[in-house]
Amino acid sequence: MSEELTFWEKLARIDRRVFYWILFIGLMVPFIRPLGLAITVSPSTRDLYEELRRVQPGDVCLINIAFGVSAWPECMPATAACTKLLIRQGAKLIIIGPYYDVDLSYEELKRRCAEDFAKLKYGEDYVYLGFYAGGEAVVAQLASDFRSVFPTDAYGTPLDELPMMKNINKATDIRLVLSSDTGDWCSYYIRQWRIPYGVPLAEIGIAMLGSEYMPHYRAGILFGMSVGVRGGAELEKLIGEPADATIRMDAINISHILVIIAVLLGNIGYFASRGKRR
Amino acid sequence: MSEVLRREVVYLITAITTIIMFVEFFFIGTWSAAEELRTWAIIIANIALGLGAVRLLAEHVRNIQRRRAGVWPFSIWLIILFVVMFLSGLTGYAAKHDPSSNPVYNWLFKWPYTSLGQTLYAITGFYIFSAAYRAFRARNIDAALLLIAGCFVILTNATVGEVIWSGIPVIGRWFLDYGQVPGMRCFLIVAAFGMLAYGFRALLGRERGFYGEVAGE
Amino acid sequence: MPYPTDPAGIAGLWVAWLLMLMIYSYPLYKENLAFRFAEHTYIGITLGVSLIVAMSNVIRIAIVPMLQGKYHYIIPIILGFMMYSLLVPRYRWVSRYPIAILVGAGFGLGMRGVLIPNITQQVISTITPPATGAGAVDWWNYIYIAIGTICAVMYFVLTWEHRGGLGYATRLGRWIIMIGLGAYFGNTVLFRMAMLSGRAQFFLQVLKIVPM
Repeated sequence: MSEELTFWEKLARIDRRVFYWILFIGLMVPFIRPLGLAITVSPSTRDLYEELRRVQPGDVCLINIAFGVSAWPECMPATAACTKLLIRQGAKLIIIGPYYDVDLSYEELKRRCAEDFAKLKYGEDYVYLGFYAGGEAVVAQLASDFRSVFPTDAYGTPLDELPMMKNINKATDIRLVLSSDTGDWCSYYIRQWRIPYGVPLAEIGIAMLGSEYMPHYRAGILFGMSVGVRGGAELEKLIGEPADATIRMDAINISHILVIIAVLLGNIGYFASRGKRR
Repeated sequence: MSEVLRREVVYLITAITTIIMFVEFFFIGTWSAAEELRTWAIIIANIALGLGAVRLLAEHVRNIQRRRAGVWPFSIWLIILFVVMFLSGLTGYAAKHDPSSNPVYNWLFKWPYTSLGQTLYAITGFYIFSAAYRAFRARNIDAALLLIAGCFVILTNATVGEVIWSGIPVIGRWFLDYGQVPGMRCFLIVAAFGMLAYGFRALLGRERGFYGEVAGE
Repeated sequence: MPYPTDPAGIAGLWVAWLLMLMIYSYPLYKENLAFRFAEHTYIGITLGVSLIVAMSNVIRIAIVPMLQGKYHYIIPIILGFMMYSLLVPRYRWVSRYPIAILVGAGFGLGMRGVLIPNITQQVISTITPPATGAGAVDWWNYIYIAIGTICAVMYFVLTWEHRGGLGYATRLGRWIIMIGLGAYFGNTVLFRMAMLSGRAQFFLQVLKIVPM
C-alpha cells in the first residue's frame, strides 16, 4: 500500500502546466489593471543618459540594432528612448543591424519615434544602411572603411550621394556608438572601436548583458548601460515620456513576485520533505 | 600533394591570416592589405550565410522523399512557404531594390514571422518559471549564495521589491553594481586567456575542429 | 503599432494571434499538430527571408563593386561559394580554404582585441583603489572586488590541487562566482519575463481588451 503524500509532496507533483497557466494569466492582469509603481534610476542608466545629453548638434552617432524582432519587448524601449534623446540633441544618426530582420526593427524604431523622425530629413539627418554580416571582422572593417561594408545605404543609394555621409568613413568620424544587443556585438565594438579608436560606447541590450558587461562599465570602457526592459523604463522616466517599458514594468512586477513565490515554495517543500526523509 | 593541399596549405592560410590581423593592431588604419583581407573575409561570410538555409532545405527534401512519418507533410508546407517567400522577395528586390516592396513578402514578414519569432523566443519564460520552483534550491552553501543573490536581483529589477521592504533594492543594487563584478570579471579574464591559448594552437595548426576534419578524410 | 484597419492588416493580426496560440499550445497543453504547423511555418519563412537578405547583401557588397571595377573580388566570391562544398562529402575539404580565412580573421582580431579590455583594463580596474576621500563603503567594495576577482580566477587555475591555502582561496572564489551567477540568473528572469509579457500584452491587444 502506498504511503500517504504530505502537503509538500503533493505540491511538488503538481503538473508544470498549472504553473504555466498561472504565469500567463498573471502576466495579463497588470495590463488590464495597472499598478503604476514608481521607478528608480540606476547609476549605469543615469551615466548613459548624462553622456547622451552631452551630444552636440551635428555629432554623428551610430545605433547598432543587434536584436531581432523576437527581442523587441526587451530591447526596443531603450533603443527608442535613446534615439529620441539623440534626435532632440541634434545628433545625426547612422542606423545599422546584423540581424536579417533589421528592416522590421528599423521600421518599428521609426514608428515609436515618429514625431522626432518627422522633423528629420533622410540622408541629411539620418541614414539607414541596413543589414551587415561577418562577425568581428565586419565590425573591424567598419571602423576603418565604412564604404567597403556599406557601398550603398539599404535602398541602394551610394553613400557619397547622401549629404550626411560625405565626410563619414571611419570610427573616428563617429561621436558615440549605442549597441543594443542580444549577443556578442558589443564585445566586438569594444575590441575594434572602443579600444583602438577610443570611440565612446554604451550597451542598451537584454538584461543578461547587464551582468556580462558590468565589469566593462566599472572599468570605464562603457560610458553607460541600460539593462533590459527595466533600463528602458528608467530611460523613459528620464526623458519624461512613459511608454512601452513603463507599462510592461507592471507585468514584470507580477511575474517576478510569482517567481519568488515559486522559489520559496520549492525550498520550503524541499526542506520539509528532507526533514521527513531523515 | 593532395594531403599538402588538404591540410598543410590550409593551416598555413589560417596562420598567415591570423598573424596579419593581429599585427595590424600596431599599424591600425594604415595597412590596406589587412583591410583588403578583411573585406574578403566579410564577402566569404556573407556568401556562407545561405549555407545553413540550403542544408536545412536539403534535410526537409529528404524528409519528403523518405515519407518520414509525421514529418513529411510539414516539410512540404515548409518548402512551399520558403518558395513563396523567396520568389516574392526576389520580385520585390528586382523591382525596387527592396524585397519588402512585394506585398506577399511584406505580409508574411510583418505578421506571421514577427509573431512567431517573438512567441518562440518568449517560450523559455515558462520554463524558467518551473525551473525556479523545481531546481532553484538551497542544497548547499554554493546554491544558497546563488539563490540569495538571484532573489535580491529579481526583486530589485521589479519595482515592487521596494514596496515589500526598502532594503531590498539597496542590497539588490549592491549585487548588481558590485557583488557580481568579480565573478563576471573572472569569466572575462579566463575566457580571454582561453581565447589566446586557442588562437595560438590554431596558429600552429594544433586546433583543427573548425575545419570539419573527419578521421580518414 | 496601431490596430490595423485594412483587410490585409486585420487578417495578418489574427493570423499572428492564432500562430501564437498554436505555439503556446505546446507548453500550456501538450505537443500537437498545431504546434508543429506553426513551428514549420516559422522555419519556412525564416529560410526565405535569410536567403533573400544574404543574397541581396552579397550583390551589394561583392557583385556590384566587382562589376564596377574591383575585379579581384572574384577571388573571395569563389572562396565563398567553395563553402558550399560542405554539402558534398567527397569535396568537403575544399571548404577548408574559406574556413581558414574566416577562422584566421576571427582569431587574429579576437586575440588582439581581448588583451586590453578583457585583461589589462580589468586588472587595472581591480587594483585601482578608490579616490582620496572615499568612504568606508567604497573601500569595502574595492576590497571585495579585488580579493573576489583574484580568488575567482584562482578557481580556474588547475595546475595545482586545490588544497591548503589554495583550497580556501578557491572555495571563496567559487562562492564569489556563485554570487555572480545568481545576479546573472536574476537578470535572466527579467529578460525572459519581459519577452513573455510582450506576448501576454499582444494577446489582449488583438482582442481589444487593452489598446494597441
